[in-house]
Amino acid sequence: MTTTERAVSPVPEQSPSEHVPGGRDIWFFVLFESLAFTAYFCVYLFNRTQHEQVFLLGQSHLLLWLGVLETIVLLTSSWAVASCVQDARAGRYDASKREALLTAGFGALFLVLKVIEWVRLIHAGHTFTSSEFFQYFFFLTVIHCIHLLIGFVVLGVLWYQLSDQKRRSQPTVEICATYWHSVDFFWVLIFALLYVVR
Amino acid sequence: MENGFNKRIFVAWLILVAISLVYLWIDHSATHQGIPTASTVVTVVAICFALIKVRIIMREFMEVRGAPRFLRRLTDYWVVLMAIALFGVYFVGIAVA
Repeated sequence: MTTTERAVSPVPEQSPSEHVPGGRDIWFFVLFESLAFTAYFCVYLFNRTQHEQVFLLGQSHLLLWLGVLETIVLLTSSWAVASCVQDARAGRYDASKREALLTAGFGALFLVLKVIEWVRLIHAGHTFTSSEFFQYFFFLTVIHCIHLLIGFVVLGVLWYQLSDQKRRSQPTVEICATYWHSVDFFWVLIFALLYVVR
Repeated sequence: MENGFNKRIFVAWLILVAISLVYLWIDHSATHQGIPTASTVVTVVAICFALIKVRIIMREFMEVRGAPRFLRRLTDYWVVLMAIALFGVYFVGIAVA
């Protein structure tokens, strides 16, 4: 059985090492992306302080519990892909493939919840042009969902890698997981800024 | 329980979920009769919690905890940089307004 085979480059799980998860390139990408998102957030926060009442009014139309639910769903997908990396490293490829599917499943659930939220808001008359708050809301959530859609392609690559013994490469598994985690932490920040900040 | 179950990342997930649920209570404290009210304390706490969550995701899920020192430092500085940018812009914005 292939499940007992070793991964290409196993690394110690707990002790600090010279191993960069996924390699340096993906970290440059993640940090650059987080810089771009931070720039969006700064513009949003500044405008928020200038038009406080408009933003508070817009925010009153959001369902916080739905945002919390979306956050928990995405965090769970991140947990699944973290487990996927560890199982792949230990040579447990069947478990790893299951977790990759679970990650995609939770990602899809997040997307469904997001679409439900958008439809609900648009039906209530809150669109990209209806107020400054919703301009930022739709911009940030759509940009994030584009990253999520790219994440599905990345998970496809992950699945493809894990499916065949000859293609398996632990660095690629880690690159895919690192990208998915970055989509998760971008959402964590977007959620706090759009739904909770006052 | 399955052989590969990792308790540490499960605990990390639990903490992340718990912080997410705390937001419900934070929000309740800054809402009057269903209408959100402005609050600097809530803003600061919400952003701090989000940055703490980002660091937990990086350290535990993204395996930075076991990575070389330069990556551990770089990611920590990055979180601090985001904090400075967000709080800086927020407080400058309040001062200008």
